[in-house]
Amino acid sequence: MDLMHHSSTFLLPTIPLHHRPSLTYALVVLNQTLPRFAPLLWKHAQLRLCADGGANRVFDEMPLLFPEEDASDVRRRYKPDVINGDMDSIRKEVLDFYRSLGTKIIDKSHDQDTTDLHKCITYIWDFAPDANKSSLCILVAGALGGRYDHEMGNLNVLYCFSSLRIVLLSDDSLIYLLPRTHHHEIHIQTSVEGPHCGLIPIGVPSRSSTTTGLQWNLNNTEMRFGGLISSSNIVVGEKVTVQSDTDLLWTISIKKL
Amino acid sequence: MPLLFPEEDASDVRRRYKPDVIKGDMDSIRKEVLDFYRSLGTEIIDKSHDQDTTDLHKCITYIRDFAPDVNKSSQLCILVAGALGGRYDHEMGNLNVLYCFSSLRIVLLSDDSLIYLLPRTHHHEIHIQTSVEGPHCGLIPIGVPSRSSTTTGLRWNLNNTEMRFGGLISSSNIVVGEKVTVQSDTDLLWTISIKKL
Repeated sequence: MDLMHHSSTFLLPTIPLHHRPSLTYALVVLNQTLPRFAPLLWKHAQLRLCADGGANRVFDEMPLLFPEEDASDVRRRYKPDVINGDMDSIRKEVLDFYRSLGTKIIDKSHDQDTTDLHKCITYIWDFAPDANKSSLCILVAGALGGRYDHEMGNLNVLYCFSSLRIVLLSDDSLIYLLPRTHHHEIHIQTSVEGPHCGLIPIGVPSRSSTTTGLQWNLNNTEMRFGGLISSSNIVVGEKVTVQSDTDLLWTISIKKL
Repeated sequence: MPLLFPEEDASDVRRRYKPDVIKGDMDSIRKEVLDFYRSLGTEIIDKSHDQDTTDLHKCITYIRDFAPDVNKSSQLCILVAGALGGRYDHEMGNLNVLYCFSSLRIVLLSDDSLIYLLPRTHHHEIHIQTSVEGPHCGLIPIGVPSRSSTTTGLRWNLNNTEMRFGGLISSSNIVVGEKVTVQSDTDLLWTISIKKL
């Protein structure tokens, strides 16, 4: 079984030059309050998308993160490459503003079968050449909190696109999938994340999961809802390994910097 | 609480909203707060020796042991504020408490949504209070895929439909009217939006 490496370098001020794995980041902004480190994610991303009302958030809230600067300057600087979605939340003034700046507007209002996040992931999937998909990492701001059915729908997107690296971020936590097809090495960036963490068998019980690097490690341990799940765990040191018979959700706390 | 009654004196509000019990591992409560409520007669239960269960789990256990047996299954409903949002591992731990105590009615509430378990042991009738909740809702197969779920009263009803993570789950659904029925081969999580009043 192949090894898959994970590291939250997207939370670091600068990404170390020879860092492995070398990843290309895309950022998707959904319609929730921007996390305080949104400008950092924006800086690391080579493609920036807003899902429908996420454009309102960038328009309204990016200037608030730079209170000493002129709002128009900030808005021009943080211009999304694409706005994608069913367009039922974005304000007309926001749409016109970004359209006039050259943002690509993709109106998917005819498609009511998928969430705005799903549409954005599909767009990125179609946009990225096959050769690059394994080095692609999609960062999502605003997927957690708010309406709970939305949060669950967003979580499901991770499982639907399990061959893509997708990270859901809030101010407090980040979460991503550890597919059962791989052994996993998670390199903990202790300056920005941890120590609180968890491993969650969301969709299917796990008959056997094994970890190293946690305060309470699993050792061929069964996990399931209604029984044991690994929450309120603690990372010890800088490397965590995970192997499991099912897809597990990894979550770790983000430090308040 | 005083912030929700800005026109009143803060001390009066605090005295009026006095908890009966404060329980948990006591690593977050401020000393001044603990002393204040202790002086008012609140029962303080220090479970700092128990690091195996979450604070919510400890509270549910207390309520379950406190409530007379005859009332437990049908009459008791535990409302939980603050279980969602914040640290995600905590949110998942709180969700798991619903599954661990599946014979108890437990409702997790945030400003935006409420969620509770629909145990597979029963058919369910959900009477929608349209003045305060809806229309956005969902049915989520957490923990185990569902081979067959059936609903009425939703915009997109399920009809012996399979649901699983990685495939179809019922999110961004809409309640139509005032009654929703659900039956399933697994425990499902019901969630509905709370109206901004």
